[in-house]
Amino acid sequence: MRILVVGGGTGGTIIANNLARRLSAELRTGKVSLTMLSASDRHMYQPGLLYVAFGQMMPDTLYRDQASLLEASIEFHVDPVKHFMLDERRVKTQSDRVFDYDILVIATGSRMVPEEIPGLVEGSETFYSEAGAIKMYKALRNFKGGRVAIVVGVPHKCPIAPVEVTFSLHDYFKTRGIRDKVEIKYHYPINRIHSIENVAKWAKPEFDRMGVAYETLFNLKEVDVQNKVIHSEEDTEYAYDLLISIPAHRGMAVIEENRLGQAGWIPTDRHQLTMEGYDNVYVLGDTTNLPVSKTGSAAHFEAEVIADNIASIVKIGTPVREYDGKVYCFIEAGHDQATYAMFNYLNPPDLKPANKSMHWFKMSYNQMYWSSVRGLL
Amino acid sequence: MTSQIEVSDRPAPPSEPGVGPAELARLSELATLVTAAQDAMSDDIVTRLSAALNEGMILLDRLTRNQALMRLLHTLERAECQNLLEALAEALAATSRDLAKGRAADGGLGGWVRLLRDPDTCETLRLVSVLGSHLSRNLQASRAPDSSSS
Repeated sequence: MRILVVGGGTGGTIIANNLARRLSAELRTGKVSLTMLSASDRHMYQPGLLYVAFGQMMPDTLYRDQASLLEASIEFHVDPVKHFMLDERRVKTQSDRVFDYDILVIATGSRMVPEEIPGLVEGSETFYSEAGAIKMYKALRNFKGGRVAIVVGVPHKCPIAPVEVTFSLHDYFKTRGIRDKVEIKYHYPINRIHSIENVAKWAKPEFDRMGVAYETLFNLKEVDVQNKVIHSEEDTEYAYDLLISIPAHRGMAVIEENRLGQAGWIPTDRHQLTMEGYDNVYVLGDTTNLPVSKTGSAAHFEAEVIADNIASIVKIGTPVREYDGKVYCFIEAGHDQATYAMFNYLNPPDLKPANKSMHWFKMSYNQMYWSSVRGLL
Repeated sequence: MTSQIEVSDRPAPPSEPGVGPAELARLSELATLVTAAQDAMSDDIVTRLSAALNEGMILLDRLTRNQALMRLLHTLERAECQNLLEALAEALAATSRDLAKGRAADGGLGGWVRLLRDPDTCETLRLVSVLGSHLSRNLQASRAPDSSSS
């Protein structure tokens, strides 16, 4: 049986390693082959970018060679897919190579699209790329005081990022001794300060305590870079000195180009994680259109289910598990406190007060990530 | 009001078994220790410890899943292998001593002949020859399933 994993991010790497562990005997005897196609030979720990934006991590510590993270039995190619031919059970890559498969896993991830809002690229700082995070840190370092605006586009990667960056800004300016010279205003597109209701309930008193102002129902329409003013679809505006953005995200362009899903999100069965209409095509991580957070932890829990199911299909001919929508997110509530949110399709998160031990747990996880993608945790 | 008076008139309940002043003092000590450890820690220390633990776990995982290493460990547990390892270690130490005090080889055809006449040299060649034939036989045996399947 030929298993092909497209995408070498968190989800793709975990699922490939999990499969290599579960099917080690079948891989050794040649009954199964496992191939990964990725766009890069490097793997980035994306949550670390928030720390880079505040000078708490250096960018080089976020990378490992992708090949070094993979089990030896996985055939790895840096050759991204250009065409998906699902009915013929094959893909064609950028180098025009053709890979046939029996089971396909699509884990291509997502990309930010700040260019969809006029002025957002030129006028704002963001931490969703290495270059952006470094630029944001330099902007923060040079900031002497004034009005800081935070704007959020939806959907976006890492659901907790808007509140985390707000808490971090508060702590950063406080540590520099200029918090009293900074006015922080948070803008959110729906009628509460976070899409997850219990996160909104928890964050609101924290914002009040920190003196962070907020405006809900603020859907960013454009950024007037020259006059440093943000305008909303609701006809409100705010003048800023420093603009921090959480840009909206879309699925990868290759998904849209191959018409696999609107806006790059593939229609996915919420329990089996198969692509609608294709029982031999699995989708995970940001690539799905599921109503769960676009976060590494969702990809992790989905990968466990898919790996178990593919392995059981190989061994006994049928899948054995369903995904329950589990997501676990650390929430950094500043530079030395954290809490977490755990939820699934049925149960909303129940947030506990932030504390230092949870912050250290998050610090530890920043290192443990490398065990996690190897399929060990 | 009456009930309040009744409650206050009752004798104090006996303390929970095992929780006396000495135990509370120990708990307080423990809390102080935890607080002191927390205060002494920093993000950097936590990061370094976690990184070391993480790499250790990865190494352990790779070692324990490496079937060749596991088989080697199993083989090394046999008494004759352990004797051989000990003999090898002692031979290395003795070789180091002999090389340090002995004079350099003469070289040339005469030197070769003298070396070959030495019974120890013959015994060494026999050992290497036996080792080589076993190694060759084992390698052939391990290749056998592949060749039969192809």
